[in-house]
Parts: sequence; structure tokens; C-alpha cells
Amino acid sequence: MTAQPGFHVGISFHSFATKYLTYQYSFEDMMEKAAQLGGGVEIVGPSHIRSFPEVSDEFERSFKSSVDRYGLTPTSYGSYADPFMLPDRDLTPDEIYEYTVPQLKGAAKLGFPIVRLQYFAAVAAERLVPLAEKLKLWMGYELHSPLTIESETTRKLIAQIKHISSERLGLIPDCSIFARSVSQNHINNGRRMGVPEEIIQEVLELWNKNTPVDDVIADFRARKLDEKCVSWADMVWGGFGRSEPSAMLEIKQYIKHFHGKFYTLVDGDEPDLRYEDVVKTLLEMGYSGWMSTEYEGAPTDAFAIAKSHQNMVNGYIKKYTMN
Amino acid sequence: MSDEEGAFIGRSFICDEELTVSTHDGEPGFLVRILLPSYRSLPLSCLERIELSVDGAPVDPKDITFILNGYSHKLDEMCGLSKLFWFILDKADLFIKRKEPLGSGKHELEGTMVMVEPYMTVGRFALFYTAKRQLSIATDL
Repeated sequence: MTAQPGFHVGISFHSFATKYLTYQYSFEDMMEKAAQLGGGVEIVGPSHIRSFPEVSDEFERSFKSSVDRYGLTPTSYGSYADPFMLPDRDLTPDEIYEYTVPQLKGAAKLGFPIVRLQYFAAVAAERLVPLAEKLKLWMGYELHSPLTIESETTRKLIAQIKHISSERLGLIPDCSIFARSVSQNHINNGRRMGVPEEIIQEVLELWNKNTPVDDVIADFRARKLDEKCVSWADMVWGGFGRSEPSAMLEIKQYIKHFHGKFYTLVDGDEPDLRYEDVVKTLLEMGYSGWMSTEYEGAPTDAFAIAKSHQNMVNGYIKKYTMN
Repeated sequence: MSDEEGAFIGRSFICDEELTVSTHDGEPGFLVRILLPSYRSLPLSCLERIELSVDGAPVDPKDITFILNGYSHKLDEMCGLSKLFWFILDKADLFIKRKEPLGSGKHELEGTMVMVEPYMTVGRFALFYTAKRQLSIATDL
């Protein structure tokens, strides 16, 4: 089933990670549930495919059978660059290319139109673009906190995308970069880890001032603070970024997929991520594509919370489409 | 996906399954069932270290063999196995060579797995997972 153009909400199977990893949901169960969650399916290559980085003929057949059976739309394939897999050195650009090729071929084999790239793949992008053209794939670098729209790394990625000038390469923002606050759960984690209360307050103030995480960590190290303070600060910036949703307007031509990351819902909305502003901006920029609901919070009824997230997003789509 | 998601899933790498008395390459010992405490498959080169103690006594790493899908690997060989993936839903076994059979009753298995999630912004970054379980011995079939 091919979806009509427009703004659709689907599901990333990462939302079901806890249930999948504890054998409560099989892959087939997730496919069945996807039909009730907007019908768009995003998978994580090395989580869901036994033959990763290749896609076996067996997985292709069972995947396509499920897609037909439940009337699903493959949306995005999560690929990995894994640059630090070797104990003695980083992968070379050639090795990252070699590792990514079977993932692109596998994504195409399964019928995915989009591949999520980790930004580490940028060193191989010039060589990957011709293959993406051949396979009719679009590739997007994920912008996930601590990488925000304004980050230096993102500026370089955008410059590269402009330079390569192919419609096959762009960006996939993750909603974690559009935070208004740090979640209470993350703050409580810091307390549980034993981070002193004054450091917690200092971190929150620095976060509110949009201080770059590298500066914070360098300062903490210089002050010889306990390593748990450093690692908690890293978690805060890794989970929450401070980009303005309206900043997407300037890069709208590079955005063809979106990750609807969320950590919790209170009264039907994400208290810490600016979903209303994000959806409003996506509609304003004429976004046509999928947003994959991606739950990443405490173990819970993942299906129910994913459904609530989609109700929220669809509610905002309706609200701002009618105006 | 964030750097810490392996931690939020929080699965103990020593499975809550009985120990199995066994032999490996003709040597007596027993098997401990383990899983990969990530959310995704990883190449074996991402497993930096596995330490285990049985009833408080540390096991010599040379006496541990990692067995995945019927193929066995010595712990110090795993760093070179970057093309061999441990699928996230597959459990593996650690064969612990041991001359004296384990006594009946429960045994305390305690261990640390040091594992790399190979895509963190900071570079090759090892995560430490500790596990402790009281496990009994499987009765013979």
C-alpha cells in the first residue's frame, strides 16, 4: 500500500524495544500492531534483521508477506556506521562505505524508500549517493541531540549536502532536539546516580542557557568533579536539544523524514518536547512524509503510549490544517 | 537514538536459566546462559571483556569459552571478530572449564561484561554491565 502525499504518522519499532527484547513481541507481532499505528513501518537494521548488515532472502519474504497481509508502508530503515567497532582503531571511510553498502541494498530489497544514516557515514557519502540513486533511495543524516540544527557538525553536514547537490541526501530531525525542558525522569536519574543537588541545579541552568555540552564537560573535568557528574551531563544533552522548531524552515528542502521521539506523556502531551510548535512548523513548510513515533522511556504498555502519541500529533495536524 | 538506551533497557547479561553440566573439547565443566545487554546486534569485536566468579571464586578467563550458535571462541580471540554478529535475540553460552563438578543446590554466579556501543559521539566508549544470580543446576534429561 502506498500512502498518499501528505503528513503521515507511523511507528518506529524501536518503540517496542523492551517488549521485543524480552520475547513478548515477535517481529511479526510488531508488524501486526503497526497496522493500528498509522501503517508506516520504520525498523532498526541490527535490531530486527538476523542477517544484518545483509538482508537474507528469507527475511525479505517474511517482511513482504507481512507488509501485504497488514497493508503496511515501509518508511525508513535505520542504518548504522558503527565507526568504533574495532578495538585498536576507527573504521576508515572505505570500511564505513563497505559496511553501509549492504545496508542500502537491504533497505531497497525490503522496499524502504528512505535510509537513516548516522552522521559518521558522512565520510562515505560522496560514494554512497550514486548507489542511492541506482537503488532509488533517499538517505538522511539523523539530527539527534546533542546534534542540533545549530551545531557545528550539522552546519558541516548541510554544507556537504549542498555541495553534493543530490536530491538523494538530506536530514532526518529527531524531536529530541526541540526540547523546552529536561524531563523529571532524567533529573531523577541524576539523583539516583548520586549527582549532588547543586550540580544538578547547575547543569539545568547551563542547559537553559544553551551552553554547549563540550564546554560543560571540559569545565567539570577541570574542576575534577566526579565522573558521574560528567556522564549525567552528557545524558542530559544527549536526550534534550534546544533547537527552535522554526529553524527547520531554512532547511526544509533537506527534510523528508522525521523521528517522533518522546520520553513520556502527561495529559496526552510531551511535557518537555515542543510537539505543537514542531507540527505547526512542519505543516508550515509543507512537509510531505512520515513522522515515526519513537518511544524511548521507561518500560510501559508501549502500544498504548505510542497510540496516545499519535493521537496527540494527529490532533495538532488537524488543528493547524483547519486554520 | 541516544547513547544511553542500552542502559535503560537494563537486562542482566546472566540469564535466569539453570546451569548445565557439560563437556567441551573433552574437558568437563558447565554452561552459563548469557545475553547481549544492548538493544541491537553487535559484532563480537565490541565485547571487550567478560569476567565471572562462581560462589565467590573468580574464574580464570582462559577457562571460559564463548559459544554462539554452536561455534566456540576463546575470549581473547573475540576482539578480531568484527564480521561476526551476535543477533540481539540469540542467547549465547559461556562454557566454564572445571575439574571438580559443582555441588548440588544453588550457585552464585557474578560477573561483569564490558561492551562497546560503537557509535557514541565520544568515540569507542565501553559500558560496564554487572550481573549476579543464584542459579541451580539443570537435572539431566
